[in-house]
Amino acid sequence: MFFAMLTMAADTPAAGWNVEQLIQSMAAVKSAKGKFVERKQMAILNAPLETTGTLAYTAPGRLEKHTLQPKPESLILDQDRLLIENRDKKFRRTLNLQEYPLVWALVEGIRSTLAGDLRTLSRFYRLSLEGSESGWSLVLTPVEPKVRELLSEIRISGSANRITTVDVYEAGGDRSTMTVVGDAS
Amino acid sequence: MNAQPRVAVYAWLFLIIVCIWIIGHTRFEADLSAFLPRSPTPAQQILVEQLREGVVSRLILIGLEGDKTEALVDASKRLAAHLRSHRDFLFVNNGEDAAPEKDRDFLWRNRYLLSPAVNREHFSAQALRAALEDNLQMLGSPVGMLLRRVLPADPTGELLHLIEQFEGQTKPAVRDGVWFSRDGNRALLMVQTRAAGYDIDAQEQAQTAIRAAFAEASRTSSTRLVMSGPGVFSVDSRASIKNDAWRFSVLATGLISAMLLLLYRSPRVLVLGLLPVVSGALAGVAAVSLGFGSVHGITLGFGVTLIGEGVDYAIYLFTQSEPGRPPHETLERIWPTLRLGVLTSICGFAAMLFSGFPGLAQLGLFSIAGLIVAVSVTRFVLPGLMPQNFAPVGVRTLARYAIPAVGLASRLRYPMLAAVALSAAFLLFHREPLWSDNLASLSPIAQAQQVLDQQLRADLGAPDIRFLAVIHSATKEDALLASEKVAIGLKRSVEENRLKGFDAPTAILPSLDTQRARQTALPVPDALRKNLREALEGLPYRSDVFEPFIKSVTEAQNAPLLDRESLQGTGLAIKFDSLVVGRESGWMSMVPLRGVSDLDGIVRNIGQPPAAQLMVLDLKREADDLYLSYRDRALFYALLGAVGIVALLIASLRSIKRVYDVLAPLVAAVIVTIAVIVLLE
Repeated sequence: MFFAMLTMAADTPAAGWNVEQLIQSMAAVKSAKGKFVERKQMAILNAPLETTGTLAYTAPGRLEKHTLQPKPESLILDQDRLLIENRDKKFRRTLNLQEYPLVWALVEGIRSTLAGDLRTLSRFYRLSLEGSESGWSLVLTPVEPKVRELLSEIRISGSANRITTVDVYEAGGDRSTMTVVGDAS
Repeated sequence: MNAQPRVAVYAWLFLIIVCIWIIGHTRFEADLSAFLPRSPTPAQQILVEQLREGVVSRLILIGLEGDKTEALVDASKRLAAHLRSHRDFLFVNNGEDAAPEKDRDFLWRNRYLLSPAVNREHFSAQALRAALEDNLQMLGSPVGMLLRRVLPADPTGELLHLIEQFEGQTKPAVRDGVWFSRDGNRALLMVQTRAAGYDIDAQEQAQTAIRAAFAEASRTSSTRLVMSGPGVFSVDSRASIKNDAWRFSVLATGLISAMLLLLYRSPRVLVLGLLPVVSGALAGVAAVSLGFGSVHGITLGFGVTLIGEGVDYAIYLFTQSEPGRPPHETLERIWPTLRLGVLTSICGFAAMLFSGFPGLAQLGLFSIAGLIVAVSVTRFVLPGLMPQNFAPVGVRTLARYAIPAVGLASRLRYPMLAAVALSAAFLLFHREPLWSDNLASLSPIAQAQQVLDQQLRADLGAPDIRFLAVIHSATKEDALLASEKVAIGLKRSVEENRLKGFDAPTAILPSLDTQRARQTALPVPDALRKNLREALEGLPYRSDVFEPFIKSVTEAQNAPLLDRESLQGTGLAIKFDSLVVGRESGWMSMVPLRGVSDLDGIVRNIGQPPAAQLMVLDLKREADDLYLSYRDRALFYALLGAVGIVALLIASLRSIKRVYDVLAPLVAAVIVTIAVIVLLE
């Protein structure tokens, strides 16, 4: 998603650019940070919901999403647990992802792409890659019928080993777009 | 054969026929709780009821192991499917569906009557506004996708409130949708049997059904099935007790028969030798059947071993017979000794008769009736059946070797004395208590089985009910009202970290009063619409999104109140029935407590509910108390029995020295035995 510091795969030849190569270059990234802007369009809302905040990834499995605006909230994904924390409201809840297949599929799509974990990724999704190394889109289609009832596809776009946007399309027509800006802070 | 023995033989035949008839109409039972006390305190009664038929007594924990994860997952899913369709099981869970469809549906449809959050304030414009703002934020998180489906009908999150009440329990780990042990080597299932835990036959049947279902469900030969739980323990214990009792009885009968045959070389004498004890056993069973209405399997097993001394009566008669003398003459000579022996035995068994444990009392009655009949058969029936010129040849052949050996016995006098003195000194200066107060050491359950049980329980987070708030009221409604009051105190205790959680039956079915109060707290549609409009001001929700919410609230306002019938068909009904029980004296409602860290503080927080009696029980302490009171009582009666035996001996022997001669070997034997047992512990 978010790494300006490491761009080692940038000068690999474009010929034969495929999922394996993309995944390999992603796996080489050990940590990354970034800022995000996320816009969600939902049928029950008459205007898109916009949130902003920071993202942090540490290989192999830790992903943090700290929403700052409009209200602070933290999501911390570690192994198979997702911690949802809201300091203002003293709210803290740990979800065991094994019990929430949909949530698991959703967060794993992003984490496994970042980690370059092709095996886990293929357990949840069918993959197809579009574009070139300098501008690619990885389309994830859920394998599980139950997940597919709610989630149509996730489209992760980027260049080289950097993710720039994550689009989530829901079965009911709702969708969200997260734009990531690398930040070396 | 003269008239008197003939009459005796006919009387005996008649008695045997009557006994057999009674036994033919006897109900034999295997309920281990016969070995629980008869007149316990109210607290102990609850403990005993829980042990007999409580939810925990019906749980069977199942593990599948010894194979690859995928194979175990597959076996777990197939086994659960098999068991779910089986009528012996009320509830089967392997993690696939933590809250069954019907339960979720019940909670969802009745959320406004069930949710403790419902009050007038809850639907004000202000409260709605706060809820809608929270939801907006939740919509942005990964769980938002799930929230979006229920939000239009439940913006105040009642379903979440309800589900949270049932949470707080440790949950098992999950792999591929089914429960697993932490180390991932064992797939886990938990089932609840329809039959109560004390019904061992039904428990055995349920376990057989599990094994059969497993045999069908498992596709690879390497997957193994392990089971644990109170029902499994009962079935195993009964099998091993039955096995032991049977083995010892067969062994003893075989040895005695062989000895009699070897010594007397006459099948007739063998039959006569066993006649008193067999008659005694029949009479014992008949007596217990008449006295208790049924006979316990264990009484049968151990009783025969206890009246084994009936064989001695006949043998004593044989050895004392002299050639040429009719048996009744011999009997008149030995009768005082025989009578004394029987009376002292009865004194001993009478202690069991008064022990307060129906199972032990049965054993006592069995032995007393059995011995009286055995000695009567020896006294009155055997003479008429013995050969007139009975000569105990066998004994003389043996005497040739036995007498010199007995002569050597006096050499052992000093070593024996030393052993007794040493044992007595050891016991006198032994610092630890002689009594083991650990109930578990009485358990016939093998160590390996106990370890397995602990592992399964820890991994499953299975309820191990130890603390229980028990509420007693005249009516069901009063009991539920009082439970709601108790739940308030418990909720505060959870917030104050004195308690991890609790299961109040009123979370499933609140009192009618409370349901009515919630119904009146719900705003009328127009008021709700107005509040909602106000709350939505400036929020990005589409204005018509919450029509389902208004519809649900309006429906709840006019819905019939919930009663036990409303739960029919859900898993919640089973849970409710296990917590709220009708009894002769009124209604009892139970609230199991989890993770108690400050019992006194909890009791203070609860206070005293109105129109109800409240007890907060520590079942482990009750069980320990029960055992201690049983031990004191058993000791008291054993002592009484011993005093009776000494008094009998003094009365018949009329010489302190002779009483000493009789008792000294016995006392010495007891001292040495106790010392050896303490030493081996």
